[in-house]
Amino acid sequence: MKTASKYWNLVRLDSSGKIKITEISPAKQFFHRQVSNSSDSENIPDLTIQKDLIAIKNSGNENNISADRCLRCFISHQIRQACIQLDIQFGREHGFSRNDLFIYTLNDTLDSFRDSVAGKQASQGKYKSLAVEILETFDPAKANLSTWTVRYVKQNRELQRFLLEQGVYLISSWAILNDTNIKQVNRILSEFHNLTSGEIEQASILLSGYHNVYRRDRLKSRQSKGRKCTTPSTEQLERIADLINRQGLVLSPEQTLTQLEKLAGLLREYRIHVRGGKMKQESFDNTEINTEGMQASVIQDEEETVDQGDFLKSYQQQFQQSLDSSIETVITTRLSKFKGKKAAKAPQFITALELFHCQGESMSAIAPKVELQAQYQVTRLLKLKELRIDIRHQMLQLMKDWTMAQTKLEDLASLKQRESEIELALGEQIDLVLNEAEKEASVADSTQSILAKRICEYLDRL
Amino acid sequence: MTNYNIETDNLLLDFESFSETGIELSDEQIDRAVELSDRIIDPERQWQTYLNSLALFGFTAWLEERDNTLVINSDSCSVMQPSYASYIDGVFNLTVGEYKICLLTNGVAIDEFISIDRAVVDLPEYIPHFYILVNVVEEQAEVIIDSFIRHDEMMQRKQTANISADADWTYEIPLAWFNPQPDDILLYLRCLESSTIALPDSATTITDDIQRAIESSIPQLQSGESLHQILTWSQAAPILSNSSLLNWLYELQTAQPSLGDSLAALRDRLFNTISEVTQTAINVKSWLSNELDELAQSLSWTLFPSLDLAPSGLRDLEVVNRESPPEEFTAIVTQLRDSGEDIPPDARGAFRDFDLGTYALRMFVVTWEVEETEGIPEWSLLVVLGAQPDNYLPQGLKLELKEGETILDEKIVPEDTNDSYIYTQVIGELQEQFIVSVALVNGEIITFPNFVFD
Repeated sequence: MKTASKYWNLVRLDSSGKIKITEISPAKQFFHRQVSNSSDSENIPDLTIQKDLIAIKNSGNENNISADRCLRCFISHQIRQACIQLDIQFGREHGFSRNDLFIYTLNDTLDSFRDSVAGKQASQGKYKSLAVEILETFDPAKANLSTWTVRYVKQNRELQRFLLEQGVYLISSWAILNDTNIKQVNRILSEFHNLTSGEIEQASILLSGYHNVYRRDRLKSRQSKGRKCTTPSTEQLERIADLINRQGLVLSPEQTLTQLEKLAGLLREYRIHVRGGKMKQESFDNTEINTEGMQASVIQDEEETVDQGDFLKSYQQQFQQSLDSSIETVITTRLSKFKGKKAAKAPQFITALELFHCQGESMSAIAPKVELQAQYQVTRLLKLKELRIDIRHQMLQLMKDWTMAQTKLEDLASLKQRESEIELALGEQIDLVLNEAEKEASVADSTQSILAKRICEYLDRL
Repeated sequence: MTNYNIETDNLLLDFESFSETGIELSDEQIDRAVELSDRIIDPERQWQTYLNSLALFGFTAWLEERDNTLVINSDSCSVMQPSYASYIDGVFNLTVGEYKICLLTNGVAIDEFISIDRAVVDLPEYIPHFYILVNVVEEQAEVIIDSFIRHDEMMQRKQTANISADADWTYEIPLAWFNPQPDDILLYLRCLESSTIALPDSATTITDDIQRAIESSIPQLQSGESLHQILTWSQAAPILSNSSLLNWLYELQTAQPSLGDSLAALRDRLFNTISEVTQTAINVKSWLSNELDELAQSLSWTLFPSLDLAPSGLRDLEVVNRESPPEEFTAIVTQLRDSGEDIPPDARGAFRDFDLGTYALRMFVVTWEVEETEGIPEWSLLVVLGAQPDNYLPQGLKLELKEGETILDEKIVPEDTNDSYIYTQVIGELQEQFIVSVALVNGEIITFPNFVFD
């Protein structure tokens, strides 16, 4: 434990909705008196402190209120941290800030702490802050408080609803169980979680019983398909329990639910592990690409007068023509897909494309102008990255004679290289431009490339 | 403290977001996917077929949105045919232009390994140019084209890493092998010559000895047990590679098991299917030298003794003892001769019993050499259809004789008749083959393996 102050500083929102950190003096005094009276206090692990605090809180003696306050202060820091992480991961692309998330989560004022201590009966039916909910359900024997807090933040309904509006969602446990087959479960539980063969056997029976009931019901019921999976009903749990009982796994419906949630939790952990690895891999890949790009541009600087010059000079006319014709083909194709229910999207698309390429506006600025709520919806409407790739591919096809003379199209590597050359010639460091475009300061860049200029000219002619 | 940040970050990796490249599925597409999965009996495969169908619809939408000129053909795609989807995972028999594509579907259970059905990796019939990994988020009705790997690349890596198939006939392929830039598929589909990626051109060989393996496993196959628990891979490969055999298997598992007669009927259909597939035929010439070939034996044909040796027949077929097929046969030949058929003494005949619908029928075949024009040897095939003891020929029953697709003759049991038999005859050159089939009014039909005189 390095920052003991988080046990007596409460993070909350002030009346203007800004973060305010308030020192709770009684909590601080209590903490110093009860917990960190030893000189070595900075080295006591959080886990030990939390166990002690919980014990005091449940003891019913006069200090229980203070212990409760300390724990809730700690929780408030963890909630804040979780929201910051969500912001970092999705905020920019999906147009929300951490402050938007705090509103749903940092709602503990400590006012109701008596309720929390007085037990469930007193607080039933009354409004409960997220922190109180977290503390009430927390069991130090089963988890640490940080993890428990993050889990609760993630599952918070209000927060989930807000995030979904922004295009960010949490996969439900039931969807994860639906899509995991028995073979996978066996491998994951044995290789990743090191469970015993007995435990794995039970999990397989449980999952198979769940599949037989829940998947089938989902396929049968017209309303649920393609919508968020809900917790199995009591009736479904009874059927699952009945099925697994026949396989020798005797559980009540309630226990069945608990065990299913536990299994989903294990699968979720593995999933997070894989995604973590995948994200690292992707950012590694991107670094590689970027480095390559940088190297290419260095070489290009040196040889620009020769290579780039020759290249553009000898093919300039053909290049321009195929560029313009490719832009037209690709945009026309896109527009032709907006029909029927989607017909309204065509003018939206043109307007957004124009605002981005000709006016240099950012996606979030464009959203309200084309009657969309969120930035991610504009990104999805335009699909710029795909648009650019399609234009390049179209050019490759149009310039086939030229391409064929240079390289056989039967060679995978040179085909890919040829595409990169066109990308370079178009002055598009696509990913760079796009990333930059999202930062308000440098949106003007999006109007500078050859491609942007030609798209713009094409739109003017429409 | 250091610990808790890592933990918090990781726990939040749980969230997903609608990506720029995601494809939304419509309610109609979801309904259609449910329909397609509805015909699959095995629950595990049913859900997978549902996801596979969603992957196909998403992929199709993605391609159509990106390109007007690429031609997708999914008419005979695996998910459209329950006999494929019931036994082989993956979306195959799918083409884009000249390219063969196989979609591999991932649900939301993200895994380091992608499970690929051995059939789409090892059977030349299904091997695609590209395996494309498609993420399906069923809960959000969203599909994302994730990554892909070329077939040649896969084979190379598989060999280097020394990966072999699991006991359940799947390969567990590391996700890391897949190229994470799906737009490169489009680059290849649009600009690359398909011949650049070489595919094996030989087909899976089907020999008629598989019928024994299958025949002895019929009860297990009927029980719905997984194929890999019943057959070895080399036994299963010919079945999996062939749509007629897969159809047979699917019918075997889905048909309402009616009592008694069903097993024999299924056996018959299996043999017929196999002989169609392997293009084997019953060689009746060997009958003349008192031999039944292997196929005829397995199809329970019984050869009668030479006509010279047969007792002289009764004239009246009505009083023939049908419990004794040789007596019945002699009576038939006698009557046919009386009515003008020129059946020489060295002709040989055989019979077999079979079931069609609820009718227990019996077929006699007589064959002999003919040389009407000197120097041009020919052969005759005479087919007589009757019923087994205590049975009768139902009205409207049709006996059909074909050469290839051409119908040479058909005989139908007329209304108000007392005839116990219908028959037909054909004479052909030695290389000609004839196909005999029997059909009920309701369309139920049995086609016998080709008859040849070789």
